Amino acid sequence: MSVLAPTRPTSATPGHAAPVAAFTAFPDLTRFILRRNWLRLAIWTIVLVGMVAMVYESQRVAFPTQESRDAYAAVANTPAVAALTGLPYGAGTLGGILNIKIWMTLAVSIGFASIFLLTRNGRAEEENGRTELIRAGAVGHHAYSLANQLVVGGLSVAIGLLIGVTCIGLGLPAEGSLAMGASIAGVGIAFLGIAALAGQLTSTSRAANSLASIVLGVSYLVRAIADVQAEGDTPSPLSWASPIGWAQNMRSFGENTWWPLLLLVGLGIGGCLVAGVIESRRDVGAGVLPDRPGPARASRSLATTLGLAVRLERGPMIGWLVGGMVGGAFYGGVASAMSDLLDSGNAFAQAFMGQADSVLDGIVGLFVMATAMVAGAFAVQSATSVRLEEASGRLEPQLAGAVSRTRWALTHYLVAAVWGTVILVASGLVFGLSFAATQSDPDQVLRILGASTAYIPSLLVLMGVAVLLTGWLPRQAVLITWIVYGASVIIAMFGPLFSLSDEFIDATPLAATPRVPGVEFDALPLIVLSLVALALWILGLARFRARDLTQA
Amino acid sequence: MNAASTPAIEVAGLVKRFGAVTALDGLDLRVERGQVMGFLGPNGSGKSTTIRILLGIARADAGSARLLGGDPWREAVDLHRRIAYVPGDVNLWPNLTGGQAIDILSRLRGGIDRARRDALVERFDLDPTKKARTYSKGNRQKVALVAALASDAELLILDEPTSGLDPLMEGVFTDTVRELTHQGRSVLLSSHIFAEVEKLCDSVTIIRAGRTVEAGTLADLRHLHRTSVSVVLPGGAGTLAERTDLHDLSVDGERVTFTVDDAELGGVLADLAARSPRSLVSTPPSLEELFLRHYGVELPASESADQTVSAS
Repeated sequence: MSVLAPTRPTSATPGHAAPVAAFTAFPDLTRFILRRNWLRLAIWTIVLVGMVAMVYESQRVAFPTQESRDAYAAVANTPAVAALTGLPYGAGTLGGILNIKIWMTLAVSIGFASIFLLTRNGRAEEENGRTELIRAGAVGHHAYSLANQLVVGGLSVAIGLLIGVTCIGLGLPAEGSLAMGASIAGVGIAFLGIAALAGQLTSTSRAANSLASIVLGVSYLVRAIADVQAEGDTPSPLSWASPIGWAQNMRSFGENTWWPLLLLVGLGIGGCLVAGVIESRRDVGAGVLPDRPGPARASRSLATTLGLAVRLERGPMIGWLVGGMVGGAFYGGVASAMSDLLDSGNAFAQAFMGQADSVLDGIVGLFVMATAMVAGAFAVQSATSVRLEEASGRLEPQLAGAVSRTRWALTHYLVAAVWGTVILVASGLVFGLSFAATQSDPDQVLRILGASTAYIPSLLVLMGVAVLLTGWLPRQAVLITWIVYGASVIIAMFGPLFSLSDEFIDATPLAATPRVPGVEFDALPLIVLSLVALALWILGLARFRARDLTQA
Repeated sequence: MNAASTPAIEVAGLVKRFGAVTALDGLDLRVERGQVMGFLGPNGSGKSTTIRILLGIARADAGSARLLGGDPWREAVDLHRRIAYVPGDVNLWPNLTGGQAIDILSRLRGGIDRARRDALVERFDLDPTKKARTYSKGNRQKVALVAALASDAELLILDEPTSGLDPLMEGVFTDTVRELTHQGRSVLLSSHIFAEVEKLCDSVTIIRAGRTVEAGTLADLRHLHRTSVSVVLPGGAGTLAERTDLHDLSVDGERVTFTVDDAELGGVLADLAARSPRSLVSTPPSLEELFLRHYGVELPASESADQTVSAS
């Protein structure tokens, strides 16, 4: 039929096999990524480096003399501290104390920084079709990815160096200071490699972030187990199964062991290399796993606002529920073992215990709060989906149907609130059951279930932040909501370590809830939280109903 | 020169599978230097997949593809300096302005003619100081169009470039592409707007289900198909209905319409002349008709007309 059928060349690639120009336009793209991300890069750097200076200052005031530090060193090594912030060592020096108080927060934060930034410029761009536009230019196959990796890796190096220099400037020993900076930078670089791989394996930014974050979470848990099982100040060998453990084993302000840095950098570079190999074999926009076909029709329930909201959140709903329940089982299993090892006279431990009378109750209260944080993370993620639906333009066609705005938003928020409560109750129940089993005390089930249920108002306040901001500050809503959530978690966990006043700590959403069973139950904070939540929800929904819809 | 003798695009037997789905199934496509090729096919027939392979952002499973004589995957970077691309669905960085986006895209393909860029921004009536998040679909499309049309590319690959543009802007687009083709640039234009393709293209390639079903100059293609004739005969159709070389015959009083193969046209016209027609209009097949015929879509009216003929 063809009038002008093209002749088929005899050979597909005749003659020369020119080398692939893989990195052309790399400098331009690096500048471009810096320009798009400079504010984020600056904020991460200022916050992380600033925290070091702040915490150092507060510890210098808290432990002014060598005697006070020696006294602290005698009691610092407790399982709770080991599990949460890493195995303490060298606690008789200011550097060692600084390590105990801030190192783990820095390590986890820089891990998340690497993951989120790399995905934002990598898989998210590809998902939006902008990578296609860029790759249609005279751009090497790997130039954009390499620019992204170097910028994000550069952030780790810069933060590491600045932490080192800051510590030296504060008068800490030079080698320990540099080792601390290097170990933090190493964690950032290691998770850069993991994020690069995740971005190649998955085909959406959400999946890439989730996959890499799960690896980070597992790394944290593995090293927590290793640190709890330590003998003296030597962690169990399991510590070497976690990249965070590698960095801990550099023992800044202790032995200052440098070679684990090679492992961290090796993981980072190795991950990027493997990602590069995958990238050169796949199509732009595709993941490694092909998409499976789905149903050709929507079921009756899916074609409702509620059904759609539940379907869109299905993955996170299941994921966070399973995560919460696994966490609950873990807490229940280790709580009493930890309290046996813990010295109740330890002032530092007391800070973590939230003024509990018994050490065991204090630990249980702390763990109950941890399950609330998991449920809260789901509720916040799910609540921000309202803004994300709006920003992506998917909201407009939905509202063009016979759906009221308030009802649509409320449906999404209620799905988040109800399922957040389900996660809270389910993980509290599993926690209670596993704890009751270790204690041979069935009464513990209801006690812990009650303690975790008390966090429902906290959950509603954390979500309320999203509701309020989605109404009033839609463009910044997602970012600020997560910052508020992160700050609430850090203050509730580590507030006393930052020498924050009790009044201030108790005014934050998570810490406001009484840490039953560590302390007496008090209904007043829950009533106040509920009223605050109600106000946030009403104000946010009223504004959401009244304002113009705005896309990203 | 050797460069002038190699075709701008030369694709043969291209195969691309996504899992179990075969998107391209032996596709052929050839665009000569200086040619403007219309690339037609229904949604999902493989146009964008072909273009993505030509851009070196997807890999073919079999067959060969040459772009300006080079390998689109291996020599992507060098080739991309010589081509410009406009996707049908342009997504921009929300917090950069349209002007910044134009410059970034242009710089990445290796520079831009600043005066020409500004002239095109003016012509397309685009405000380059607005953030891309505030742009409508049409305005985002203009950004990609300006970046591509202001370039000195030898080959323009345009994938439904005017989707979202208003008719006025479509006109600006048509004029600009005409100017470029007068300078000898080659164009591959994937489009669903037949008027646009008829205005701009010398040749078309029609694909279906990942295969080329028709390729050639518009004139050749028209020739292969039937001309439709509408004639007013004082005596009605009469014995005309007995002719076997008339198709889709329909009679409405004195007005008789039918289609006829170009080869039979002479004989039919002689027959008509003997019947003293009061008016006669003959129309070559439109691109739309060519296109629809290839997808097996016959207009329902002509089907019933066929039945009338066979029944009588």
